[in-house]
Amino acid sequence: MDTEVNDVELVARLRRLDAGSAETAPGYDYQGMLSRREAREVRARRRSVLARSAALGLVVALVGASIWRLDVDERQIVRGDPAPAPVHEAEPRIVRADTYLAVAALEDHIASIDDALNVARAYSPRGEEVARLERTRAELLDSYAQVRYAELVSANF
Amino acid sequence: MQRLAEIEVPADELAAARAGDPAARSALFTRVAPGTLAIIRRLVRHAAMADDLLQDTLIAMFEHLGDFRGEAPFGVWVRSIAVSRCLMSFRSPWHRARVALESWTEDTRAATESDGRTSDLIDLDRALAKLSPVTRAVVWLYDVEGWSHDEIAQAFERTPSFSKSQLARGHARLRTELRAPMTAALSIPIGSEFDGH
Repeated sequence: MDTEVNDVELVARLRRLDAGSAETAPGYDYQGMLSRREAREVRARRRSVLARSAALGLVVALVGASIWRLDVDERQIVRGDPAPAPVHEAEPRIVRADTYLAVAALEDHIASIDDALNVARAYSPRGEEVARLERTRAELLDSYAQVRYAELVSANF
Repeated sequence: MQRLAEIEVPADELAAARAGDPAARSALFTRVAPGTLAIIRRLVRHAAMADDLLQDTLIAMFEHLGDFRGEAPFGVWVRSIAVSRCLMSFRSPWHRARVALESWTEDTRAATESDGRTSDLIDLDRALAKLSPVTRAVVWLYDVEGWSHDEIAQAFERTPSFSKSQLARGHARLRTELRAPMTAALSIPIGSEFDGH
């Protein structure tokens, strides 16, 4: 097509394209939609449980590690071992993959809740759905803060 | 095919659907689903993602049936939900990664699904597929759905000049593609999601 296509002609063609589009039937009916929704909710719940378990596990592991290290230091003092002078070399910070994944999963989940909240607020700002989503968001933020704190603690070792 | 924006729903069917009657809800689904899918497929070309967005849109529609005040045709209301859902998906990092990975597949599908149309429309469909999702959405909403720059800006949470620049960019890109369809067929979508004003 060598001729210049101006905007008016382009718009006319776009409208012809729209008018000439064949009807596309969705791959499911009303019942299918409800089933798909249910399956998706089950998957979302499973992901949420997994993310919370990972966050909790991480917190427990880090607290356990902290207690263990404190215990080792105290035993060294009791035995009178000459404590080696602390060497503060610049060490590369190690970010554990499980920490990263837990944080990423939580951030994704919070972002999806934010999107859902925006939609829910647009329809009914004081609705029950908004309250439920805000509660879920607050819980997720708690978990997120715990993981971040645990990360901070581990970085100081 | 009846355009989504032109779809009206009889008051009794709407009332029954609001009351939760499964038969009325199923009929409402059958009435609006094809038109809704058509506009979603125009904005989001990935078939599986479009199916998911259709589901999100129609579930939101059923959940908020009570909010429909009847000031515009029912289809216009459903269209605003569908467009809002599509734009929300554009902001998702998953969507951006998918677009980058699957651009070649989309081109192929666009060409094969265009069977039965005249060659200029096939070229146009192919050229549209090469636009970035945001630019394509702006072009489609302004040129075909008749939205104003202000409405588009509001939907994207941007300024009207964003809409104008995206439209100009989209038109320029379409003109280029339509002048040289064969060489353009090998290119990949250009422009990031929300770049430039």
